[in-house]
Amino acid sequence: MNRDDQNDIDNQIDYERDPLMLAARQLPQGIAPGRDLWPGIAAGIEEQREAPSRRGAGWNRLFAQAAAVLLLIGGSSGVTWLAMKQDAPAVATEPSAEVLKFQPVAGSFGSQYHLGAEFVEARNSLEARLDEELKRLSPETRAEVEANLNTIRAAIVEINLALANEPDNALLQQLLMNAYRDELAVMSRVDGMASSVMRRNDI
Amino acid sequence: MTMETASDESAWIERAQKSDSSAFESLYRLHVDRVYALCLRMTGNTAEAEDCTQEAFIQAWSKLDRFRGDSSFGTWMHRVAVNTVLGRMRKSNRERDRIHAVSDVAPPAESIGDSGGLRDLENAMNELPSGARHVFVLHAVYGYSHEETSDMLGIASGTSKAQLHRARRLLAQQLNLSL
Repeated sequence: MNRDDQNDIDNQIDYERDPLMLAARQLPQGIAPGRDLWPGIAAGIEEQREAPSRRGAGWNRLFAQAAAVLLLIGGSSGVTWLAMKQDAPAVATEPSAEVLKFQPVAGSFGSQYHLGAEFVEARNSLEARLDEELKRLSPETRAEVEANLNTIRAAIVEINLALANEPDNALLQQLLMNAYRDELAVMSRVDGMASSVMRRNDI
Repeated sequence: MTMETASDESAWIERAQKSDSSAFESLYRLHVDRVYALCLRMTGNTAEAEDCTQEAFIQAWSKLDRFRGDSSFGTWMHRVAVNTVLGRMRKSNRERDRIHAVSDVAPPAESIGDSGGLRDLENAMNELPSGARHVFVLHAVYGYSHEETSDMLGIASGTSKAQLHRARRLLAQQLNLSL
């Protein structure tokens, strides 16, 4: 059927007298549904409203992961420092000049591994933002983050204590090194930092 | 729609665009019958029509910021509803089962001038192939032009006219009318 034929067809219809077209126009424009459909619509709307919140919560979780790893390092250092101070364990007590605030157990962590100034700077920057972010978290999320932090801190203490007993244990060294690597990777994702600050043996 | 209702509608739209769901509920109450009727006539199935109506209003809520008032809100809702119906049909193969030979449908009505005749017309429309049915519903029942109808359905205007011709022929045959 060509265009002319189609136009001819339409032109042939007398909309004012055609029984089918007249009947069609008499049909009710509205028909009430058999039930109230609003509750389902309201639920759908609510779901849409929550979706951005869920995305936000995902971001918060990501940030919380960064916070967890960050605090893992801080907690690890603090606890390690306390352990060293109280028990004078058989670990190296001479921190590397590059270790700075973290005071890692240089001997247990291996002489090849160091925390550099760039890392500390990045850590401090993230920590400042983390405090602000934690304040904005819902109580439930914050509790979850804090529970995770406690778990991670306990784990890092375990690693450090194990390293204190086995300072040359390559596996433990690698575990701690991996934790730092993970921390930098998460921080990079959270804060857009370049992961280039970490080199193989110098973070 | 009265002047007061139109004024109310504008206020509801404005409030709904600011995420006021109670205002959107008022819009729903005002337009649900027209949206549901369109969905019912396009799908021919009450359960599907209910689902389409709900989905259309949820879609409308998410797209409210795009409503600029170039057309009436009712027309805009119809467009959203048509898109919803077509989208759902594309996802479903059930539509294939709806295509029947005209000779298989109910016996012809005596007249379409009374309410019984209108019911027969509704039933006959429901038996049309989907392409012809959609065009007939939008053009003949709701009065949209071929341009508007073709735009809503994503078809050429000529196709809309051809489908109307087909729908009229099948309906006349079914209702024992001479055109």
